[in-house]
Amino acid sequence: MASSPTAVISIGSKAPIKKASGPLRLVLTRLGFLVSALFIVVTLSFFLVSVTPGDPAQLIAGPMATAEQITQIRADLGLDEPILTRYVDYLGGLVQGDLGNSYFSKRPIVDELVEKLPATLELVLLSVLFATVVGVAAGAVGAYFKGRLPDKVSRFVTGVFQAIPDFFLGLILIYVVFFLLGLAPAPSGRVGLVETGPGRVTGSYLIDSLLAGDFALFVSAAHHLMLPVLTLGLVYAAYFAKTARSTIGKALNSQQAQFARAMGLPERTVVRYAFAESRTTIVTYAGVIFASLLGGEAIVERVFAWNGIGTWSLQGITKLDLPVVQGMVLVAGAITLIVYTLLDIIVGLLDPRISHA
Amino acid sequence: MKVMRQHTGATVGVSFIVLLLLASLFAPLPYDPKATEGGASLQAPSGAHWFGTDGAGADVFSRVIDAARIDLSLALAGTVLSLVLGVVLGLAASTKGKGSERLVRGLDAFQAFPLLILALALVTLSGNKLYMVVVAIALINIPRYMRLLRSEVLSLRESRFVEAAMAMGASPRRITFRHLLPNVWGVVLVQTSLTIANAIVVIAALSFLGVGVSAPTPSWGGMIRAGAGNMSSGEWWIASFPGLIVLLCVLAFNQLADAIGDTTARSHR
Repeated sequence: MASSPTAVISIGSKAPIKKASGPLRLVLTRLGFLVSALFIVVTLSFFLVSVTPGDPAQLIAGPMATAEQITQIRADLGLDEPILTRYVDYLGGLVQGDLGNSYFSKRPIVDELVEKLPATLELVLLSVLFATVVGVAAGAVGAYFKGRLPDKVSRFVTGVFQAIPDFFLGLILIYVVFFLLGLAPAPSGRVGLVETGPGRVTGSYLIDSLLAGDFALFVSAAHHLMLPVLTLGLVYAAYFAKTARSTIGKALNSQQAQFARAMGLPERTVVRYAFAESRTTIVTYAGVIFASLLGGEAIVERVFAWNGIGTWSLQGITKLDLPVVQGMVLVAGAITLIVYTLLDIIVGLLDPRISHA
Repeated sequence: MKVMRQHTGATVGVSFIVLLLLASLFAPLPYDPKATEGGASLQAPSGAHWFGTDGAGADVFSRVIDAARIDLSLALAGTVLSLVLGVVLGLAASTKGKGSERLVRGLDAFQAFPLLILALALVTLSGNKLYMVVVAIALINIPRYMRLLRSEVLSLRESRFVEAAMAMGASPRRITFRHLLPNVWGVVLVQTSLTIANAIVVIAALSFLGVGVSAPTPSWGGMIRAGAGNMSSGEWWIASFPGLIVLLCVLAFNQLADAIGDTTARSHR
């Protein structure tokens, strides 16, 4: 890095400014991309939702409404303005942290998001954790016993779980684990129907119930998390296993692994080295799964009556609550892009072989 | 024949799909798939109703077979649209240069969309038009084709035979259609098989959420939706059989993709 080119650019005044180099430059270019990508996401979501044929005002008013009523609703929602004006308004509000109000509840989108996001994050984070542990384990077994029985079994199970729609797996688990075995509570959301959540500190029921010292509620919350986490975890563990198998397999076949074996190092150590070599891929993939789960898990939230942003946005869509849809797309898109950017930076800084040019 | 023996999974899968299609088009069904019979609701699978009956008393077996027609044709339509537009746009984007670089960045940003939410929003906003389901599938899958083609074509452009063709004075059009395109068909076919599988799941997810194919017409997702509540009260067959068919279809097309991948990869060497 010492010999990196120090390009000199001048801005306005004649004072030359050195272009940042190395890690700082990596961070800056990635942040630059983040901002422009977010802008693209916002713009695309706004126009895609706005130019689709179909009139929210008419659907909200219902089939019996008169033309005046529809015009009135359209004016109330600001839908009578030209699309470019609305777009500029939306961007203007966005810069000030205002995502508009819900057409139905009339509450600010930001408030609703803050209220519902923790439930989704709790579910998604635990699912990613589960998928990573199970997926890497299954992938490692497959890679180590390549072509033999454990590999065949692991690949068969992985193939089935990759093909099963997550919402269907959720229903199967409800039937088997709740109805037949009685090991899980009914799919009633984050806690039982007669229970109420803990006082809000972080928004995570697991953490908040412990902070409140309510151990019974903690157990109930954990119990209610079991099936949704299992559903998402199993489906995404299957994707993870496929990647882990090829990555760890490559590491186990590498020259350094052969050398380690030739040196007479115990197998345990060789496997540990293979894991160390695969860690950037594993971290990256966990991030990718986290990102695709946001928004991707909405349908599973619906199956388990989970009161997160997934259920919220699905309800918003059926009621044609456009600001809700745009808010959801924006938040899921923003978190995804931020995670990708962080991953890029972390992996780039961890791995000296990746050049930042 | 040799190919079929080497890829048992794909052979079984394709036979299953063909059988399913033929049955849905020509086979006489034991019951009218849309007929309901109040007295015969929620019956467990038996000799009279192989897959049982649903809450309205309709025969689950007849409905599952009948649904293949609309579900599979929508999936195919979405795939064809994705394939055609994806390949054309992908080839157009496969040049080295600032413009195509930016386009890829745009595709990256598009990947950040919660795609199912977007698909659902488009179909709902259009007033539940079926062609919008096809458009939504294309919207999800076109970027995948574009990325794939771009990475394949960019690496092929470096190869000797393209260099040789250029040295011979072949026009860019000739190079694209005579030299590049024939060499990417393998990966495009694999992607197409995966796209059909993805489309089947997207359609099922949309009908599960209540948009796309709507109520009296049988669809697998709609049937799973109808039987979802029954899963926690023990009537497992209403949602399980259509779910199982979706699972088998996806498995079949995934196996087919693997087999195509293996075969084309081998013929390259």
